Amino acid sequence: MFRHPWAPYAFIAPAFIGLFVFRFIPIGLSGFGSFFSENLRGDMVFVGLKNYAELMDDPSFWNTMRVTLIFNLIINPFQICCALALAMLVRRPSKFIDVFRLGFIMPMTVSIALTSIIWSILLDPTLGPVNGLLRWGGFQSQPFFRSEHQALETLILVATWKGAGYWMIFLLSGLLAIPKEIDDSALIDGATGIRKFISITLPLMKRPLAFVLVADTAANFLLFAPVYIITNGGPNGATQLLMFEAYQAAFAYINHGRSMAISTIILVVVLLIAMFELRLFIPAEEEQS
Amino acid sequence: MTISRRNLIKSSALGSLALAMPNIVRAQQTTLKVVWMGWPDNQVLPLMAEFEKRNPTIKLALERMPFQQIFQALEIRLNARNGDPDIFIVDSPLTASYASRGHLMELDSIIDKKRFAPSGIAAASFDGKIYSAPFGSSMQVLYYNKDMFKAAGVTPPSADPASRWTWEQLVEAGKKMAKPAENIWGFTFEQQERPYQLLPMGQSLGGTALSPDGFKASSYIDGPAFVEGFTFMQKMYTESKISPPGQFDTALTPELFGAGKCAMMVAGTFVFDTLKTKFPNLDFGVAPHPYFAKGKPVTPTGAWHFGVNARTQQKAAASQFVTDMLSDDMNVLWYKLRPYVPTLNAVWEKEASSFTSDLWKIAKYDVQNTAVPRPATPGFREYEDIVRVALRDIQSGANAQQILTAAAQKIDREIAKYKG
Amino acid sequence: MSHRLSEGLRYTLLVIIAVILLTPIYWLVMSSLRPADHIFRFSGNFSIETLIPFAFTLDNYSQALQSNVGRALFNSLFVSLTTVICGVFVNSLAGFAFAVFDFRFKKLLFVLILLSFMMPFESIVIPLYTLMRTIGWTDTYAALIMPEVAGGLIIFLFYQFFRGIPREIYEAARMDGANWWQIYYKMTMPLSGPTIATASLMIFIHQWDAFFWPLVATSSERLAVIQVAIARNMTMEQANWGAFFASASLAVLVAMVPFFWLQRHYVKIVITNADR
Repeated sequence: MFRHPWAPYAFIAPAFIGLFVFRFIPIGLSGFGSFFSENLRGDMVFVGLKNYAELMDDPSFWNTMRVTLIFNLIINPFQICCALALAMLVRRPSKFIDVFRLGFIMPMTVSIALTSIIWSILLDPTLGPVNGLLRWGGFQSQPFFRSEHQALETLILVATWKGAGYWMIFLLSGLLAIPKEIDDSALIDGATGIRKFISITLPLMKRPLAFVLVADTAANFLLFAPVYIITNGGPNGATQLLMFEAYQAAFAYINHGRSMAISTIILVVVLLIAMFELRLFIPAEEEQS
Repeated sequence: MTISRRNLIKSSALGSLALAMPNIVRAQQTTLKVVWMGWPDNQVLPLMAEFEKRNPTIKLALERMPFQQIFQALEIRLNARNGDPDIFIVDSPLTASYASRGHLMELDSIIDKKRFAPSGIAAASFDGKIYSAPFGSSMQVLYYNKDMFKAAGVTPPSADPASRWTWEQLVEAGKKMAKPAENIWGFTFEQQERPYQLLPMGQSLGGTALSPDGFKASSYIDGPAFVEGFTFMQKMYTESKISPPGQFDTALTPELFGAGKCAMMVAGTFVFDTLKTKFPNLDFGVAPHPYFAKGKPVTPTGAWHFGVNARTQQKAAASQFVTDMLSDDMNVLWYKLRPYVPTLNAVWEKEASSFTSDLWKIAKYDVQNTAVPRPATPGFREYEDIVRVALRDIQSGANAQQILTAAAQKIDREIAKYKG
Repeated sequence: MSHRLSEGLRYTLLVIIAVILLTPIYWLVMSSLRPADHIFRFSGNFSIETLIPFAFTLDNYSQALQSNVGRALFNSLFVSLTTVICGVFVNSLAGFAFAVFDFRFKKLLFVLILLSFMMPFESIVIPLYTLMRTIGWTDTYAALIMPEVAGGLIIFLFYQFFRGIPREIYEAARMDGANWWQIYYKMTMPLSGPTIATASLMIFIHQWDAFFWPLVATSSERLAVIQVAIARNMTMEQANWGAFFASASLAVLVAMVPFFWLQRHYVKIVITNADR
């Protein structure tokens, strides 16, 4: 690490001004707003921790927490494993591999809202081609998003459809950055396949994996569009995620205090998990020069 | 080059005058910011152009928003509380919600109640005053696929409101035509989860959806009439299996009907034109909205109004907009561009010739005799959202009484904040 | 396992995955080419026509182009590319500082960076909109671009990559008398091809997908972005699926262009770097 009286501050200034003005000030205002309640005329009334207390007492909020935590516990490792598997598959240069690399990241070009609409039609119990295919093959058509037993899993799969290619990019560049010498020397030493993967490849992938894990966690905790467009939190609360609950509080129940309280909770939870994940992957290395 | 102080002062004075010039000139012209629904160009633009033609000093900055997002986007704009937009679309049940929060200007002085249908004025009022301008209404009818009826040997429903079908008759007919395993269905609602579409199930059995003062849902929406009505609806999906479950996208249900995959559909008068243009080979007929044999016929209705922002900076221009839009000929023009169900009595009279088809005869009869608007309450958004989720869950098989009681409690809790 | 068998297995997996990932996009484009009453006719019951439209039309595209789609595509491209250029610059500067220097408040500022991309958008929409009103930026390109330039995730991305550059390189440069700007500009950035490419893609896609914020922050037609233009085809009473699919396909196809372009350079750059 180098030291300099003013260079670091000069370098971070443009970004921090932007973040301050367009992120921190608004988030500060709304975090502050979580301690207030708005009456009908728009006047803000200080209510202390009332919004938070109401949330704690609300069984539907706890259901939302439960669903969100289960969702994230499953989707984060799942998505990253998929992304890693994809990266491993397209890593070695070979015939047409370029085509596959490009093909795998194509879902990025479809916005999350469009993805939600398209998949909602594809998986529709009546009009959906997927069920058409199942029926043609002699299977029973599945309710997918319309069943409380399948909705969350389907949501995970659709989100992964979009995300796997996206995260694959980072992991692939991490894999490709592993110097050839290490790869070759491993082969000479006789390490192949799974052993090589675990003891050589994975440790060298620590940084890209840490990045992907933290970023993916944030993205999944903030997942909103598919719930809003397809399931509306249902069936029967099966896909009621925190972000959607915050949105409902603000725009359906016009209770901005409650909405901001939920947003603040999301923020704190994600931050704690992110810090934990970073610690896990990069212990004490942060302090090193 | 050095700039002397004198020159600097002179040039900046000239500069600021130059900047002010366009404003001085433009002061004669006012601009109204209008947020309108994202209806097609060919329906909205001619209407707005006609207004500008009649009022050369008023320019309209028009913004059309997609249906899914318009309410949320409006909430954000209105929350900033500074008169933007000047005019905005108001879904009639939201009149009370916007008015109670101070977003709408009173319109009593510029609206003559007698010119409108009473249900239109009722839907536009809150606390005894008119806050939104009734601009159109809606009505639901029963569409049926003539070919499918013929093939199954079932007699189709008559177009005469006096001999309208009961729900029981509809289910019987549906059963004869539905083949769920082959993806052929007997019946679907256009809006499978919306209170607008489904409240009449309970209202037809004598239920009231909300207390008259608009603040209590318990013992109203969860009363026996709605439990029975919604359970009947549920059985269409779970028992008789005449309806395709999970079709919550209102843009898809007409496609089902149009593609010949569903024999009957209760949908708005609008869908008539969509079916005629999109599916020219479809042979379909219209009949009145069904009712429960032991109850009375009730049809959904509800309207697109528009309102003036209480904080608008252009009161005079906005009032002019309201007056012009509600004038007889502008309303007739709007009807011609977009054939909605009229709330202005004059339109029924002036366009009498276009109301001679089966569709319009049924619509006119029901609007005047059986239509029940959605409940009036400042907490309508909350009410609608909670009931919608409840209806979804009932459709998938949950116990109607339990779901409705829980929903009623939630509604009561949320609306309480409007008691002021 | 023999080499040929494992290669065969590898390619089989690749193909299966490619089919899963690409079929929805294929379906989208095919649907946009169908006439209005055919769009859903073959979707429920599987047949060859589900996959290949026999009835073929460009009507939907002409409808879409007649509406605002052309302008919206331009707007989105302009906003996305401008944000990419500004964003890569601003965020790499910050990432560089964190990777290379030790300074007061560094840990706190780092946590703030992490915080910034964990913020639920809906909780900042209202204050952000009020802010835009106050500085008079509503209904301008500035409102669409400026709030999205600085991004914690991109800073983090550059930080992670820059940390991997050995400090000896910097020590040598400092001894040669280079100032930090020159080091950043002439040494570090040229080494960062793939990261710049990745960051550019991420920023581009983020802006290309933008929907709710543009809807709230801008009102005039001339500023409409592509996602808003697409959504406008779905009105309450008349959904124009054909035009919807056509404009959506256009959005997807245009978005593919930077990917194709970067893909060619990306692999080249990465492989060159890896061999270094």
